[in-house]
Amino acid sequence: MLRFYFEVARTAFRRQLIYRWANIAGLLTNVFWGIIISYVMIALFHARHQVGGFDVRDTLSYVWVVQAMIMIVLPFGWYDLMLTIRSGEVVTDLSKPCDFWWYWFSREIGRDCYYLLYRGIPTYTAGALLFGFGLSGDWRNWLVYMVCLPLGAILGIACRFLYNIVAFWIVEARATAVMVGTIALFFTGSYIPLPFLPPWLHTIAIWSPFNGLLNVPAEAFLGKLTGGSLLLEILRQVGWIIVLVIVARAVTAIAARRVEVQGG
Amino acid sequence: MFNALLGDARLYLRLVAMQIRAQLRYKANLLIDIITYFLITGLEFAAVMLLFGPFPSILGWHIGEVAFLYATTSISFGLAELFGAGIDAFDITIRRGEFDRVLLRPISAFVQVIGSDFRLRRFGRLTEGLMAFGIALKLLPGMTWTPLKLVLLPVGIVSGAVVFTAILLLGATMCFWTVETTELTNILTYGGREMLSYPFSIYNQNLQRFFLFVVPLAFCSYIPVCYLLGRDMPFGLPGGIAFAAPLVALFFALASGAIWRIGVNHYQSTGS
Repeated sequence: MLRFYFEVARTAFRRQLIYRWANIAGLLTNVFWGIIISYVMIALFHARHQVGGFDVRDTLSYVWVVQAMIMIVLPFGWYDLMLTIRSGEVVTDLSKPCDFWWYWFSREIGRDCYYLLYRGIPTYTAGALLFGFGLSGDWRNWLVYMVCLPLGAILGIACRFLYNIVAFWIVEARATAVMVGTIALFFTGSYIPLPFLPPWLHTIAIWSPFNGLLNVPAEAFLGKLTGGSLLLEILRQVGWIIVLVIVARAVTAIAARRVEVQGG
Repeated sequence: MFNALLGDARLYLRLVAMQIRAQLRYKANLLIDIITYFLITGLEFAAVMLLFGPFPSILGWHIGEVAFLYATTSISFGLAELFGAGIDAFDITIRRGEFDRVLLRPISAFVQVIGSDFRLRRFGRLTEGLMAFGIALKLLPGMTWTPLKLVLLPVGIVSGAVVFTAILLLGATMCFWTVETTELTNILTYGGREMLSYPFSIYNQNLQRFFLFVVPLAFCSYIPVCYLLGRDMPFGLPGGIAFAAPLVALFFALASGAIWRIGVNHYQSTGS
C-alpha cells in the first residue's frame, strides 16, 4: 500500500512539472511581494534597530523564507478537494480501495516537494541576492529547520484538507476557504512577522494551529528557537497535526456516510 | 462621435444595471461575500497598523499618514475592482471563444467587456477603504483642509482608479496573444496596491521612476496624498504637480485604450 501512496505523490510531483510558465509567473509574484515587504522592513528599522530579538537582517531573512515557504505549506486558493466535491468526483475517490485522507496527503506531499524545489529555493535565492542577507552558517539551524519545515507542511495539508472538506455541507464554501486562508496567513506571520505583534495577539497566534505553518519553521531557520522553546514549538506543531488529522478523518467518515451527489 | 459616446454610456449603464439585478437575486450569498471581502481587506489594514506597535514611524511617516495613504489607495483600487471586473475576467472570455460573439455585435467591444461584470461583492473593499479613511482622519487631528485640497482628494482617488483600470485593460489586451499572463497583471494591480499603501520614498530609485513615469500609479495616488499631507514630492518635484494627476491618468488610459484597439484589430480567434 505504501508503494501506492508513493506513486500518488510522484504523479502529483510530475504533474506540477508541466505548469512551467504558471510557476515562473508565481515565482515573480512571490519575489515582487518579497521586495515590497523588504523595503518596508528596511524603512521601519530606520526608526528602531531591534524588535523582539530581531534586527533588520533577521527580519529580511524571515520575510523571504516565509515567502519561499508559502506555496509549499499554505498555498492561497487551493481548492482541488473542494472542486472534486462540487463536481461529484469525490464519490469515485471515496470508493477507491485506499484511504481517502492518505490519498490526498500523498498527493499534496508530492506537490509540496515540487514547490520546495521549484519555488521555495528560487524565491529565497532571489531575496538573498537582492538584499544580501545570506544563509545561516550554523548547521544546527539547518537540522532544526529540516524537522520544522516538514511538520509545517504536514500541518498545512491538514489545514487545507479541512477547509476544503466543508464543501460537503456548504455550497458556497469558497468564501469560507478564502476567509480561513487569510486568517491562517495572518496568524502565521505572512502579513506581519509574529514576533512584532503586541503581546496579547502574539499569545493567541502562538497557540493557534497556524503558528506551526510558517512562523515556527521561519524562526527555526533563523536559529531563534533553541532548547526549551524549540521543544515546545515542535510539540505544539505535532500536537496540532494530531488534532487536525483526527478531525479530518472523523469529518471524512461522516461525510462519506451522508454524501449526496449533485448531478451525474 | 459624441452621439456614439452617449449611446455607449447608456448601454454601459444598462449592462451594469442588469448585472446588479442578477447579483441581487442571491442576497444572502452577496452579503456573505461582501462581509468576507471586508474582513479580508480589513485584516490587511490591521496588519499595516500593527506595524506601528513596535515601530514609531516608517521613514518619517507616522501611523495616521500611512493610514491615510493606505485608505486612499484602497478606495482607488476598490473602484477599479468594481468597474473593471469584466476586464479582469477577460482571459476567460477569450479562452471560451466568446470574444467572437462580442465582435459580431455592432457595439464597441470595450463597452461590452467592461459592462459584462460589475461585481457587487467588491463593495467589501470599498467599505473597508472608507472605514480606513475614517480611522486615518481620527489619527490626523492636526490636518487642515483647504478648498484646493477638498477638490484634489476625489480627483486623486478617481485618477488612481483610472490608472488601475487601465492596467487591467493592458492585462486583458495581453490575453489576445497569450492567456498565461494574468498573474503578471496581478503583480501590477495587487502588487501595485500593496506598494502604494506605504510611503513611496522607501523604495529603490528605479522602482520609483517606473511607478511614477512608466506605469503612473504613484503619480495618481502617492503624489496627491503628499500634497494633501503637506509633504515633499519625490525627486524634488514642485508641489503643484499633484494637480497634473488626472491628466497623467487620462494620458495613460488613452495609451492603454490605443493598445487595446491594436489588439482587437489583430485578433485571430482560437476557434470554438
